[in-house]
Amino acid sequence: MASAPQMPRFEPSNQVTPAAQRGMNEDWLAVCIGLLVFTLSLGLLFGADLLGWAVKTSVWMVPAKALSPVSKNFSAWSGIGSLLATFGFVLIVLVLGSRAMRTNVTRFVVGVTAIFAVSYACWFLGSWAYIAATPDTRKVFGIGWSLNLTNESGYILALLAGLVFGNFMPGLVQKFKDAIRPELFIKSGIVMLGGFLGITALGQRKLASVMLFQGLCAIVCAYLIFWPIVYYVARRYFRFSREWAAPLASGISICGVSAAIATGSAIKARPQIPVMVSSLVVIFSVVELLILPFAAQHYLFGQPMVAGAWMGLAVKTDGAAVASGAIADALVQSKAIAAGMHFQPGWTLGVATTVKVFIDIFIGVWAFLLAWVWSAKIERRQDEKVRGMQIWQRFPKFILGYVATFLIVLALGALVPRLVPTITTAMGEANVFRTIFFVMTFFAIGALSNFRKLWQDGIAKLAAVYVLCLFGYIIWIGLLISWLFFHGMLPPAVKG
Amino acid sequence: MPEPRLTDELRRMETEYEALLPIEKKLIWYTFGTGVALLVVLVLASRIFA
Repeated sequence: MASAPQMPRFEPSNQVTPAAQRGMNEDWLAVCIGLLVFTLSLGLLFGADLLGWAVKTSVWMVPAKALSPVSKNFSAWSGIGSLLATFGFVLIVLVLGSRAMRTNVTRFVVGVTAIFAVSYACWFLGSWAYIAATPDTRKVFGIGWSLNLTNESGYILALLAGLVFGNFMPGLVQKFKDAIRPELFIKSGIVMLGGFLGITALGQRKLASVMLFQGLCAIVCAYLIFWPIVYYVARRYFRFSREWAAPLASGISICGVSAAIATGSAIKARPQIPVMVSSLVVIFSVVELLILPFAAQHYLFGQPMVAGAWMGLAVKTDGAAVASGAIADALVQSKAIAAGMHFQPGWTLGVATTVKVFIDIFIGVWAFLLAWVWSAKIERRQDEKVRGMQIWQRFPKFILGYVATFLIVLALGALVPRLVPTITTAMGEANVFRTIFFVMTFFAIGALSNFRKLWQDGIAKLAAVYVLCLFGYIIWIGLLISWLFFHGMLPPAVKG
Repeated sequence: MPEPRLTDELRRMETEYEALLPIEKKLIWYTFGTGVALLVVLVLASRIFA
């Protein structure tokens, strides 16, 4: 291997491509995009429906009836008009973002257009009644069977489409790589998600506080229980050097790519090492994404909160963890409905996101700690001081956006209860864009996962550590801890 | 800084194994011990304050 493997560009806040080095990084850009959508949606509080034209895709039997504007204020608009307006908005926002990051705007426009087109086609197809309808809605569509996957099966289709492009048309993917930015898409989506979860939590404060408690446990789990075991296994049994073992341990146990890169720079590993680890993390996230939500549906459909916490703890990378939370939410929901249980949707996704966000918060602290251990104890670099500022530099900034939208909605709803219905509608409109950014994330994750290339790079031994640790205990300890904290705690029931 | 070729590096790591230093062992066991202890505390706290 003469060079690093085709890098899945799951960039953490502190990792930048050469082009981005001179511009705004993805984390801050995600905060801007997320807050823009969030702020526009809150126009409803002042009587201005600024996002009501955004396209909503309903489960369909007749394609012409699938698309419509999300708000009744725009009922005169056709579904196609609404879709084009939504695409135009997403394109303008992302192109402005690409300028801020100083990437090639022309290539970016073409890339985003292609990604949006394929992703939305997958979302549309995933909303076909034979795929999406749940047992309680089949009668409405006049069908006797369906795959029962809900319209969020569009995520899975987008992932599969991305995998086809990534593995069979790598040249095409290379052409559009400037625009294939799963981390930017998912982080923007997470900032928007904060408001949606805020309004959900408002009605269920006890559940919300337990979610935060589980977040604390997730930190303990990822940093203090998973990390040392993976590091030990990699060093002792697979005989990896420290330079390889530390980023690998962080990649497998904490938050995939961000943690691997932060650890790599903390211990002064060669830059290509965390890049290779990151490639592996992305591949395994895809594998987990395709397996774990279905396992959760099968075994945990009566425990949606356990399922969410499990996704957040076991699936690495922000994108894949939140994405698997979204799929698990839909799958668990559909099976629960079939079993006669009607839970309020969104809680599985909410728990998965909270757990992941809590884990992310401490990446900077962990990198700081490792930098100190390596420089003062292992390599004894006397001349080097580890600065507290490094914690801030490595802090994933998009979390600030997520916390801000969550707290603003929570505070507004708690202080002025009469605004809650309007805020709920506003968050519903913002959620349209959250869904679009999520589905684009799925496509992008798939497109950047070139299995063959990684295999050629001789990544099998790294993969062996990953398989052993992930499937040997991380998944199971994650499940046990999720069960301990959430067993018996159910989302509010939905009547009817 | 030389670019690592994974296959070469793996071969080299087999022959030139960097043994675990005492400080690494400390890091591993102290972290793990703290993690287990904190987890027990959090589980108990969640039971008591639930």
